[in-house]
Formats: sequence, C-alpha cells, structure tokens
Amino acid sequence: MRFILRNIIRKSRGGAAVKEQIVDAEILLAGRGNDCGVHLPDPRVLLHHAEFTLRKGELYVAPASGADLRVNDNITQMIRLAKGDVVKIGPYDLIVEVNNQQGEVVLSVELVLPLDNDMTRIAAQSNIQTGHFSIRALSWGLALFVAVTFFTVPWVMSVFPDPGPQLNSQKTPLYLTTSTPTAFWSSGDISTAHRFFGEACKTCHVTPFIPVTDGACLSCHKSTEHHADPLKFQFASFEGRACQSCHKEHQGNRTIALSHQEFCAECHQDFNKNAPKSDLLAASDFGTAHPDFKPTLVIDSAIHQVERSQFISASPPPREDSSLDFPHDRHLRVTGVRDPVRGNIKLDCKNCHETDSSGAYMLPISFDKHCHQCHALKFDIYVPDRELMHGKPKEMFKQVSDVYDAIAMRGGYEEPESPPLIRRRPGVQLTEVEKKEALDWAASKTSAILNGRFGKGQCDSCHKIFETPASGGPTGTGWGVEPVSVANAWFPKSRFTHNAHRDTECTTCHRAQTSTTSADVLMPSIATCRTCHGGEHATNKVPSTCISCHGFHRKELDPMKQVVHASGVQPMSTVTKP
Amino acid sequence: MRQSILVHRNHFFLKIALLVSILAIVAYVWHQPFERPNGGTWLGYTLGVAAGGIMIWLSWFGVRKRQYGIGILNLEDWLSGHVYLGLTLAVVATLHAGFQFGTNIHTALYILMMIVIISGLLGLYFYIRFPLLLTENRRGMTTEIMVQQIADLDRELRQLAMNLDDATNAVVLKATQETIVGGSVVQQLRGYDSSCATAMARLFVERSESNGEDARRRQLLTRMVRKEELLKRMRRDVQLRCLLKFWLVFHVPFSIASLVALLVHVVTVFYYW
Repeated sequence: MRFILRNIIRKSRGGAAVKEQIVDAEILLAGRGNDCGVHLPDPRVLLHHAEFTLRKGELYVAPASGADLRVNDNITQMIRLAKGDVVKIGPYDLIVEVNNQQGEVVLSVELVLPLDNDMTRIAAQSNIQTGHFSIRALSWGLALFVAVTFFTVPWVMSVFPDPGPQLNSQKTPLYLTTSTPTAFWSSGDISTAHRFFGEACKTCHVTPFIPVTDGACLSCHKSTEHHADPLKFQFASFEGRACQSCHKEHQGNRTIALSHQEFCAECHQDFNKNAPKSDLLAASDFGTAHPDFKPTLVIDSAIHQVERSQFISASPPPREDSSLDFPHDRHLRVTGVRDPVRGNIKLDCKNCHETDSSGAYMLPISFDKHCHQCHALKFDIYVPDRELMHGKPKEMFKQVSDVYDAIAMRGGYEEPESPPLIRRRPGVQLTEVEKKEALDWAASKTSAILNGRFGKGQCDSCHKIFETPASGGPTGTGWGVEPVSVANAWFPKSRFTHNAHRDTECTTCHRAQTSTTSADVLMPSIATCRTCHGGEHATNKVPSTCISCHGFHRKELDPMKQVVHASGVQPMSTVTKP
Repeated sequence: MRQSILVHRNHFFLKIALLVSILAIVAYVWHQPFERPNGGTWLGYTLGVAAGGIMIWLSWFGVRKRQYGIGILNLEDWLSGHVYLGLTLAVVATLHAGFQFGTNIHTALYILMMIVIISGLLGLYFYIRFPLLLTENRRGMTTEIMVQQIADLDRELRQLAMNLDDATNAVVLKATQETIVGGSVVQQLRGYDSSCATAMARLFVERSESNGEDARRRQLLTRMVRKEELLKRMRRDVQLRCLLKFWLVFHVPFSIASLVALLVHVVTVFYYW
C-alpha cells in the first residue's frame, strides 16, 4: 500500500514549496518518533500520535491511546476518512487529497501552528522591565488620608461643643479610649488631677490659637495663695507670670506641681542676698545645703508669746516656757510607774501621744484622757468621791468651798480634828448661831485645803503657781495657776507625717527618755533627718525635695491672683449639675 | 571612578550634619527644664523649627532634581546634603519630641518621618551596594544575551526531548514555554519562582525511570541545569533593579504625607495652645 505525503512549507514571501514523499506501509504511523511514516518533528506531537489504515479500500485514522486527534475540528476516536477531510495532529494539518480505490492515498502535511520565537516569547511572558510604580497616586492618596484623618475629622468634631467637665461621669476617660477625635491632637497625657475632664479640651483651651489663660485655672483654683507676702517681697509675688509657666500640662499621668529643688534654689540659694529683709536662711539642697531647724517656741506662756530665734541644736538648747512641769524621763522609766488601779505599769509614747485622723500630727494632750487615771485630784480622804476640777481654777475654788459648806450644813464629817458640831450626826437641826459657826469652819477648812498640800501643793506639782496679794487671785486666796501654753507646731512652715514614719521608733527622733523637764524641745535636728533623707538627687538616701516638707502656696497668705472670669469660662461648680 | 556622594566634597555635608546633631544633643543634655523635656520649651521650639526647616529643605530635593543647573549647589551637593541632613533630622526631631510618644498626630508625624528616613537609608544602601551586585551577577552579560542563551537552550531542550517518551517531552515543552522571569512587582521582588517550569521539568527528568536513553537524558539535564542557573541570575538581576526603584514607593509618598502631617502638627499645636 502506498501513501504519498506532500509536505507543504509556506514561504515568508508567499507561495509554498511542496516536497513529496512516498511511504509504502500497511499501517501508516504519524508522530514525532523517527520510526513514524508521517514524521511530525514538533514537541507538541506525541511520539506515536495516530495511525492511518486501509480496510477494504477505505482509509481510517485512529488516535494513539490518550492522544488528541481532531478530524474536521471534531475530537474523534477511529473514523473513516473521505477526500477533503482535515486531520489535525498537534500543530499539523493533514488533508486527505486523494483516496481512490486503487489503494493510493495522498495526504498533504503542513505545519500550520509553528512554535513562537523563543526570545520574543520569553520577553513577552516575562516582565523584566522594573519601576512601574504609581508613586504619584500613592503620594496623593497618603497625603489625603493624613489630612482627613488627622485634621479634617478632628476639626469638624471640635466644632461641636465639648461635653464639658463630667465630674461624676461614669464614662471611660478619654485618655483610655481616645473617644473624641481631637484627643488625637493632644500633645501628651493629661496630669493625674485633670484627667477626669481631659476630654473637654475647651475647659482650658478656651480660644483657639490663644495660650491657656490663668482664668481657666482660676475657675477652679480660686484660693491658691501667694508664695510670700507680696507687699514685703515684691519679687516673690510672681506677678505677670501665668499659672502655666510653672504648671505644665500634658506631661503625662503625674502631678503638675514643680518638684525640682533647683526651681526653689533659683531664689533660695542666695536668699540673704535676694531677700535681705527676710529672716529665712539660704537653702538649696536638703542633704547638703539646708540650715538646721529653728523651732517656733512659746517664750512667755502667760501671753502666749512665740519666738523663732534659736537653732534646735544650739547650746544651750532652746527652751520653751509652757508653764507646765512634766518630766518625760520619770514617766518613761524602764522600771515602770505606779498606777493606783493596775499597779506598776510601763508607759510608752503611745499611751499619751496619738496621731490625728490624717496620721500626720499628734493630737493635743488632755488631762482627763492621759493624766487623770494616775493623777486623780482627790483632796480630802474624808471626801473620797470628790476631785478637784482640772483646768478651771476659779470654778475649782468655788467647788471646794461648796463641798465644805455642804458638809458644814449636813454634819457627819469624820475627820477627828474637826469640831463636834461638824462631826454631829446628820439630820440634827442647827440654830442660827451654830450655822454661822459651821460656815466659819467651812471657810477656814476651804482655805486650808486650797492652800495646803492637796490644793496649791497638788497644782504646783505640774503647774506654775503665781502669787498675788492676799485679797487678789481668782478667789482671793492669793495664788493662781498659770495657763499652759504649748506651741501647736514647733516647725509650722514644714509638713511632717508621723504616719509615714510609723515603723521608726519615736525615740529615734525624740529623745524623751532623758528629758527631765517639759522646757526641753524634744524635736530632732536636721542631722537626725539626714541619717535617712538627702537632697532631691541623693542616691544613697531617701531623695527629698523642697516640697516634700514645704508648701509653695502658703495657706496663711492671700490668694495669688484675682479671679477674673475669662470670656466663656465658667467656674466648674456652675457647670456641674447632678 | 565616580566619587561616592557619601564622601562628596570631602565630607562637607557629613560635617554639617554632625555639627547640627552634636549641637542639638549638647543643648538637649545641658537644658534641664523643670518639666519633662518636650517640644514646648524654648529649646523644644528651637529644635522643632530646625526639624521643620530641615524637612522642607529635604523635600525640596524632589523639586530640585527635576530642574537643571540652577542655584549654587549642583545636584550631587544636594543629594549628599539630602542624605546627611536626613539623618540629622532623625536626631533633631527625636530631641524635639523629648522622647515622648503617644497615640496622637505628633507621634504619627514622627512615625511617618521615620519611615521616610529609614526607606531613604535603604535606598542609599541599595544605590551603594547594588551596582556591584548587579555587575557580579551578570558576569559581563547583558539581559539580551541571557535571554538569547535561554532561547537557544530551549531549542536544544525541545530537540533532545523529541525522541524521548511523551511525558518527558511534555514537561520539557512546558519548561520551554511557561518559564517566566520577573512578572508582577511581587514576583520581581521575590527573585525566585517556586513553581518554575524549568525546575519542575529537571526534577521530573531526574526522578523518572531511565529506559535506555541515558545519554540523551544526561544531555537534557545538563542543559536544564544551565538554564536554571541563567534564570536564577536573570531573576536576581530583575530583583536588584526592582529594589533600586521600589524603595521610592515608600520614600516619596511618605515624605509627602509627612509634609501634610507637619502642617497639621503645627496648626493643631497652636490651635489648642
């Protein structure tokens, strides 16, 4: 059987070359394999792609297993071919040109889909040209995003009124949620005390582009006092300085009070030069440059005259004239003291000295609470249920007189030395003469008691007694008790908290065990404080700055600034409604 | 040999940048405000004005490089100054902020600015390092030569696979037709192709059982290895050239955004003064 293959090769300029090939075979294989009668050298063709056979004069074509064979564009299995049929094998078209009964078949073979040019294809498939970025569009987009997010939205929102200070608001504070867009403009966290209204920018920032004025501060802080008497120390009046020149906001969750000792030292370092009229001494660092303490003492208890002149560590030490005679050493004896009820007991500081509710200062000593249990002011063993009235000499004299007048009228007094009239059985009626005799006895007994060991003598054991002419004094007895006058605070210009020092023994600072008289000022010198405390920059001690002990705005002075209501600023009390 | 912009004019701009930075640091250390150091002290305002001025000058480089031959400084001066003062800006702006950061526009500006500076540093590194890497990688060949070589290899591969089994022939055909270099920006930047058709074909040939065509298979393999090596270099070439331009995608848009943020920063600071 003979197949004539007409290989057609198209020319680029048009026209075609035809190369004939005669193959004698029973079965004509088509494929890219060398053994194929129809050799189709293209990788897209299978090794053995299809086979042509003649059966009873009919031409058939069949694909190899799994091969893609198309006849007249239909995917087919074995099929009979007629003249003019187009068989597609990969990129080749095989056209049946002659198929006659003489067993002669003419097939034209043409590569209709040649492979691309490799270089062109690689270049086309691969993008090796770099740098096609739309930087301009990105720039516009990002710039717009920043402008809208960071400015336009917050600004539009800021036009709407602030919620105002919400003193009792349960809302989550702004600094936690940044719930209002203008929070995004905040230059830093708001200080601890101001955080609760921090989301209301306009509370302080009243007018755009105008720095915060004092008016905003004074709407709450009306009474903030001067630092020094502005009439005496003009330069310390801080006139013309805005509140915020010292109190800087948006510095984080902390106080906005200045605590730097250098701030104080600016004036107080060379204080005698800066303020020659002041009796304060120069100070700039608690640990290294601070004078010793000068206690404010009572120097005349009668008129409560106080003076502040001597250092606590001076020699001889400063003494206070309190008119009280109280020896600490005898009360703090290690062997104890005798209590009339409990027997021998050992006292310590806390038995008498208690801190106030703030834990800072000590409450005043009270006779009834602290002394009376041991020092009951009984004056007559035959009147065991009566005690002298403490603290009120005039009433006390009257009280004793009344006690003996009553005894004289009633009788039954058991003292053996007293007249029978006074010792009489109670209930016996007295004549007018006897009454006068009894009252005379009462007057002389009163005088004897008051001037004796259990009257004047008993007062004298703790108090200073003053003598007057016989007809003088509160009741004409010729003597009186000077009022006790103790300084409320020996260091009134400093703050001290006992509570913070509660783990320290009292005697570390107060040398009470060896004090024989209440004239001793049992306050520590700066050396004692410095065993633990240093200046602000101390590294081996507790750093203590000026305002650890001293206040800047002094409560005893007038307000520093006149309250002027800035436009739009309302005092907070009028804004807050329940 | 061209002098690097880093040593341009005997480090003139490095000296200026160091001087400004050291001055700023010394002033910052010396200045002890009673509050935390911040942009609102006199030094804070000074550093802020300086930082803002530097930012605007640095941005002007984008305009200046599009203009030809004007001004006293030539473009290399500008670039040298741009690099060094850009680094100075990081110092001055950080000191202006007093190391305070938060959830606000001011820190947002700082972040935008730092993105610009860091991307600029990256770009500088690319410009210094990549020319050498590119030359080394190309080994004297141009892109066209490499493409031509790959095309030649493809033809050889197809020829060799022609008489091998259909499966092998198919993967080789796929390798010659579907292997690509570069592509999208991500593909370009990646520098390798995890599903490279040539690599797949090589693996297939390596693993397939031999059936008497050992010599031909070996030839096929050596050519595919050679092609892969060429592909690797071409992809590296594309990657490097892409990176040389890609850093600008961050540098330029973020610098424009920084300028807007700078304006917002200044306005808002004084809006709520």
